[in-house]
Amino acid sequence: MSGTASTLEPLFSFVTSSYAALETNFFKIPGSAVVARYVKSSHQNDPGRTLLEVILIIFAVRTLLQSRTRADHSGKHFIQFNEQEIDDLVDEWSPEPLAQPLSAQEKADLASVPVIVGPTGPKPKLSTGKTVTNLASYNFAGLAGNSVIKERAIDTLRKYGLGSCGPPGFYGTQDVHIQLEKDIADFLGTEAAIIYSQAFSTISSVIPAFCKRGDVIVADRGVNFAIQKGLQISRCTVRWYDHNDMESLEQVLESVEKERRKKKGPLTRRFIVTEGIFDHDGAMSDLPKLVELKEKYKYRLILDESVSFGSIGRTGRGLTELYNVPASQVDMLVGSIANGLSSCGGFCAGSSVVVNHQRINGTSFVFSAAMPAMLSVAASEGINILRSTPSILSTLHDNVRAVRAVLDRVDCIAIPSHPASAIIHLTIRWPAPATLQAPPAGASPGKPSNPLSVLPRDAPQFDVELEERLLQDVVDEALAQGVLVTRARRLRGQELVEARPSVRLAVSAALTRKECEKAANVVKTAFVKVLGKRR
Amino acid sequence: MFKKKSSSALSTAASYLSAVSEADARARAHGGTPNSTPALSLSSSLTTSSEDTVLDESGAEVVNALLYPRLPPTSEQVFTTVHTEFGHCANEDYRYTSQHRAGTSYKSNAEQDPPYYILLTTYLSYLMVICLGHLRDFVGKRMRPSFYKHLVARNGYAALNSDFDSFYTRRLKSRIDDCFSHPVTGVPGRTIVLLDRYSPDNNATLIPTGTRTRALNISSYNYLGFAQGKGACADAVEESVWRYGVSSGGTRLEGGTLDLHLQAEALVARFVGMEDALISSMGFATNSTIIPALVSKGCLVVSDEFNHASIRYGVRLSGASVRMFKHNDMQSLEALLREVISQGQPKTHRPWKKILLIVEGLYSMEGTLVNLPVVMELKKKYKFSLFIDEAHSIGALGPHGRGVADYFGINPRSIDILMGTFTKSFGAAGGYIAGNKALIDRLRLQGHSGVYAEAMTPPVLTQVLASMASIMGVTLPAEKTVSPALPLLRSSADLHMPEPEPECAYPGTAPAAALPSWMPLVPSLVDGSDGRVRLRRLAFNTRYLNRGLRKLGFITYGHDDSPVVPLLLFNLGKMAVFSRMMRTRATPIVVVVVGYPATALVTSRVRFCLSAAHTKEDVDTVLTACDEIGDVLDLKKAAGERWPLQEIIDRAVELVNMLEVP
Ligand SMILES: Cc1ncc(COP(=O)(O)O)c(C=O)c1O
Repeated sequence: MSGTASTLEPLFSFVTSSYAALETNFFKIPGSAVVARYVKSSHQNDPGRTLLEVILIIFAVRTLLQSRTRADHSGKHFIQFNEQEIDDLVDEWSPEPLAQPLSAQEKADLASVPVIVGPTGPKPKLSTGKTVTNLASYNFAGLAGNSVIKERAIDTLRKYGLGSCGPPGFYGTQDVHIQLEKDIADFLGTEAAIIYSQAFSTISSVIPAFCKRGDVIVADRGVNFAIQKGLQISRCTVRWYDHNDMESLEQVLESVEKERRKKKGPLTRRFIVTEGIFDHDGAMSDLPKLVELKEKYKYRLILDESVSFGSIGRTGRGLTELYNVPASQVDMLVGSIANGLSSCGGFCAGSSVVVNHQRINGTSFVFSAAMPAMLSVAASEGINILRSTPSILSTLHDNVRAVRAVLDRVDCIAIPSHPASAIIHLTIRWPAPATLQAPPAGASPGKPSNPLSVLPRDAPQFDVELEERLLQDVVDEALAQGVLVTRARRLRGQELVEARPSVRLAVSAALTRKECEKAANVVKTAFVKVLGKRR
Repeated sequence: MFKKKSSSALSTAASYLSAVSEADARARAHGGTPNSTPALSLSSSLTTSSEDTVLDESGAEVVNALLYPRLPPTSEQVFTTVHTEFGHCANEDYRYTSQHRAGTSYKSNAEQDPPYYILLTTYLSYLMVICLGHLRDFVGKRMRPSFYKHLVARNGYAALNSDFDSFYTRRLKSRIDDCFSHPVTGVPGRTIVLLDRYSPDNNATLIPTGTRTRALNISSYNYLGFAQGKGACADAVEESVWRYGVSSGGTRLEGGTLDLHLQAEALVARFVGMEDALISSMGFATNSTIIPALVSKGCLVVSDEFNHASIRYGVRLSGASVRMFKHNDMQSLEALLREVISQGQPKTHRPWKKILLIVEGLYSMEGTLVNLPVVMELKKKYKFSLFIDEAHSIGALGPHGRGVADYFGINPRSIDILMGTFTKSFGAAGGYIAGNKALIDRLRLQGHSGVYAEAMTPPVLTQVLASMASIMGVTLPAEKTVSPALPLLRSSADLHMPEPEPECAYPGTAPAAALPSWMPLVPSLVDGSDGRVRLRRLAFNTRYLNRGLRKLGFITYGHDDSPVVPLLLFNLGKMAVFSRMMRTRATPIVVVVVGYPATALVTSRVRFCLSAAHTKEDVDTVLTACDEIGDVLDLKKAAGERWPLQEIIDRAVELVNMLEVP
């Protein structure tokens, strides 16, 4: 007994001395006395409580230290293997190939992509050597190839070089960017604007910058892919209303409001997300109604004008100009500089609070290099041209009317696009019973669709593969006759709601009315020829 | 507040319309001619003062150090670059080759911890600022509610950004806002022109003063110095704008594909040594729109913990599971791989469909290179697919500038996917993905960008083509007499689809047939000497600054061959002071400071990005500045042998060429 005591003695003395050292050191830390007094007094009151508190602290520290990505070895699904077993499992595992090779159909799909040799414009030359009338490229105001823009761009190139070589936060913000932001804000009549370096990545960053988990978004069922991705990233609660149907929107807003009152939840941010002119079908939103509803239900409006900016309104300012709605009533107005101004990038216009928030929280703004200076100046110049020459837009609108006049009353073509839209989607109209399949939105009486599901109640049925094949034939036929049009390409299987296959025309002010009519007639003939065969 | 006023003033459509047309009138009156944008009337004033991007500035003697070389060129030396964009440096000793020494294993510099008192004061300073911030919020909300209006719920609208969410931005970051988002003008080359600003209200607003300051630029991602307004690349871009304009008019699959896209993709594939490549118009989007086409539910992404936001964004969209391993820690990676392969998918234990390891070639905040030799061994053993984001490493590493694989002497074809961006080394914009043909074709169809995102514009494509050709050198057709200054004439039949060379040599030169026929080719571009000098100058500058800083006693992270050099500051406050002291020196220097949340709480740092455009004297300048500021801010805390500043400057070549630095 004494033997063990003597062997343990050094240990005891070590423990006491280290305890003393610990104590003196502990009391050197400022504020430690308070902690000590607290522990002492609580221990006096209730020794059990000390234990409880210690356990609590240990538990808290443990949860903090436990990284979320660390394996949960203790989890009930974890299987313990020894090294040999793991080696065997590793040997056994055979991964799928990273990518399946393309099928014949997909190869043909890829091969059918037209290649323009030389500049794009109203009359580009294709790799086949053919010069065609271009109803495929986005060049609404005919700014592509504008010589003033070229000169400005080259001036800028000589002063700024090409790339900005840095994200906006780290010396990538150049005076030309600030100027473009100001130009856009002035042009639209908002307080401020922010530019992103790619249009597609704009709205998919704007949405998650504002909408967080727990926030509510009410969105149109027909929104474009970029918005869908933004909604997915934001992880907020999404409710859907029928495509471009204001009654359905109101019902959904009402139901969300009811739900909130019932739950007595806290006030969360709420947004309506929709497009000005829908990329999927060219339909146009009723902006005044949207604004009215958003103000009634106290939502913020995120409006994607990627198609309508630069193509709608007297000078191309988009829906706000067409409907005389002050742009300041749209909380986040997103547009495409690439489509609308024939440059590159996208923007979000709004109040300065909205814009400044994105300068820190817009993921693809913060983590990506700023737009090349010369393209930024090209866009500024584009705005200037739109401003000073309203005739451009009236030419465009004339051209749109001319094309519609030819295509509107063709048996085998259905056009879901708004008559003023500069992109025109042509879908196949099947004869007789099948025409019933796409009733005008909102006309279906009876029960509304479920706002929790993105799929509408009675979704139109169509054979994607068949229609795409026929439309590709139409495109090929038109090309053979010297008109470049394109199928609206979609990521089949990845879109939330499959869009009806269509041929998409993009009308340009750079073409004359005659050329437009001629080209539209070619498209019409191609449709009739391809679909006529099948009747 | 302002917002209130303006919205009430514009509440009716009529008043809005009149306001808009007034703005139009103002804009028109401004420009003089109807077609001049305010942007250019502003920027043209920049160069009217004199030719050649040399600005008219006060304090001429100060600026001289930046405008003119310290040693004026001799009569034999001809410099074709503008010194402010790309410095003149004729001394052939100031060159080095970026290459991993065969037979050694990769090792980053040991990450040294600072003394405890620094950690303690760092934590304390955070604590203090946070307490102070809350105190100011508490008082402010009561005394000046109007300042908090946008942060609280109002009129039935929840705040866009609540005071709690934005606390860090408002109370911590805003204190040092003058160090971020500084507006600049001109070429972001060797020097950069700052548009000066001041703040009357503690950075709540930053007001331009109208003056400009030219500063040494050690911040832009301009590794090879291709940010130039003069020179072969800019000439090629100018030519392309005359020919093509600035727009490509749509998405790649819907009529936006130009011959330039095919040429650039073929050249990129050749450059990185892969079968095929695709190009997307934004580097961020290259990751965020392509990764979802690679992996999906049932697949696992193994990701380095410090991977870039774009990668995380793409992975989140893909729906695949993610597991992270400790930064560049190969043991942690292997342990993780063993675990995930043996366990299979969570709950079901079904084997993973695919496992994709995503790493970066060069980490832009850490200065570390991926330990590729070990990763390749692991890849053999564990059969995962490998995706390397070479945003920073492409062009900047390797004896031929072909990225990490080139640096480590590894065959790029043994890697599944190489991704990179053109924003950095090439002075352009956008990104690429390279891999085998089947894979790339699949991504062309299945990636989001091909279908929905705008195609890259012609001037950017041309910059990519020209800068890449400059690094590679150009092989002229044999039968032609060499008259490289003339545009090469070729039949238009082989304009696109440049046929594969017999045995596509890697890392070889670019055949002239792979470039647009109208592209002006200057001799230094054709023989590859221009590119070679850039690579070797960058490698020298890189090693010199890395080692110089350590010899001065600073704690730096990363590898000696990394052109990104993070110097640790630790304290929150030192970030701001360091940046301001650098900016206000006699020879101003602009630096990037980063802190939480981009880095861990206590490892705030300043990040230098070297460039081939810097001369040795520029690096001397940076070292001198760091030396002085480092003394003032008490930053020299590293262990190891130290040299005095002068010795470092004098023995620079020796220092760079040492195998190891003791
Ligand atoms: C690793 C990495 N990937 C992607 C990107 C995005 O590239 P870009 O700026 O061209 O959008 C960056 C840029 O900072 C990066 O560091």
